[in-house]
Amino acid sequence: MRWQIDFRSGTPVYLQLVEQVRHAAASGGLRTGESLPSIRPLAEELRVNRNTIAKAYAELENQGVIETLPGKGCFLKEVGSLLTKSARNDLLTQEIDRAVVAAHHLQIGDDELLALVKKRLEAFDRHNQDANHSKDHS
Amino acid sequence: MNNESPVIEIQNLVRRYGKHEAVNGLSLSVPTGKCYGFFGRNGAGKTTTIKCLLNLLQPDDGSVRVFGLDPRRQEVAVKSRLAYVPDQVAFYPWMTVQDTLEYLASFRTTWNREIEADLLRRFQLDPSKKTSSLSKGQRTQLALIGAICPEPELLVLDEPTSGLDPIVRREFIETVIGAYQSGDPGRRTVFVSTHLIAEFEGLIDEFTIIEEGRELLTMNADAARNRFKKIRARFSQEPTLKLLGALEVKRAGREVEILANGNSEALLAELKAQSPEELRAESLTLEEIFVASKVLKPAP
Repeated sequence: MRWQIDFRSGTPVYLQLVEQVRHAAASGGLRTGESLPSIRPLAEELRVNRNTIAKAYAELENQGVIETLPGKGCFLKEVGSLLTKSARNDLLTQEIDRAVVAAHHLQIGDDELLALVKKRLEAFDRHNQDANHSKDHS
Repeated sequence: MNNESPVIEIQNLVRRYGKHEAVNGLSLSVPTGKCYGFFGRNGAGKTTTIKCLLNLLQPDDGSVRVFGLDPRRQEVAVKSRLAYVPDQVAFYPWMTVQDTLEYLASFRTTWNREIEADLLRRFQLDPSKKTSSLSKGQRTQLALIGAICPEPELLVLDEPTSGLDPIVRREFIETVIGAYQSGDPGRRTVFVSTHLIAEFEGLIDEFTIIEEGRELLTMNADAARNRFKKIRARFSQEPTLKLLGALEVKRAGREVEILANGNSEALLAELKAQSPEELRAESLTLEEIFVASKVLKPAP
């Protein structure tokens, strides 16, 4: 997966890294059981503090996205949540509400919004298929 | 870890040269394990402050504590736990690179030979070369090896990368991230004064901007980037805007550029109410925050 830091985004650096791993996991850039780079080389490559990477990994572990195997490193976990279905729905509803509010202020109509959501779902699916496809051929 | 006493604690530090107050009531506190940036223009008092930490200068007033100790009274105890890379590094010209490292190691209780060999290889420094024939970049690299091998708890860097070429600068920073923090990252503290803020941006946890010997701004880096924003808006015609509380406003006909200091939400709301054709907000980088800080007033 590709890592990128944007100091102008206003999002704390460790959260940018968290989002990128979550994004890669959702779009097939990172698959279950694959490992994340260890802290030192990634910190050197991105030229950020090691604490920042450690904080991002700790957050991802907290969210149940990755697991740390002592002496082996960090790995992407199988998607599975301990939360109940309704709790998961509630969490997602908050995110959807944000998009709905943004759409209102950007004067994007309901149908346009739904079409856009569908398009994005397809884009993620396509990424996933491409990732699986190249896996089968490797 | 937060209830620990700070690695560096400066309170109301005053240091004069004759009548000139180089440092004039500076206070700051550096927590364990953080990378702390110390930014200021030439002559703002950075080097004077650093010299007071190392007992190379004595304060006229106020107090300086390093590891909770007074560098004037417990100089050896303080210096044995830190390493310092100044902007101008000097070595005995008749010594070779290896002689110099042996000499530096003789003052230390710990010296990591593995890191020494690693860094000599990485920097492609010839151990048998006389220090008098080293370039400025190589001299800085040698000073950095000398600072990292004793595995100090505190690394003090005073304009470490100024005057170096971009490759040496990059290697320098990677070494601070990689080799220096390799032992026990949670306990390795960096205090760095620099002009080249952009290069250290990802490393800096917290920073202080110093101006005329006084603290102008002390903040967490992420919080600072969140607080200082540049907002650009373009309207169909020249807008009527109050923009109260903006740090700086530049207008050019239908276009407005605003520097926000913590109140970007309110400013954005005011702009949105005027139906802009285009509206963009982005955080300032630390370097831009440093430049913008000239419009902030020093605390009296």
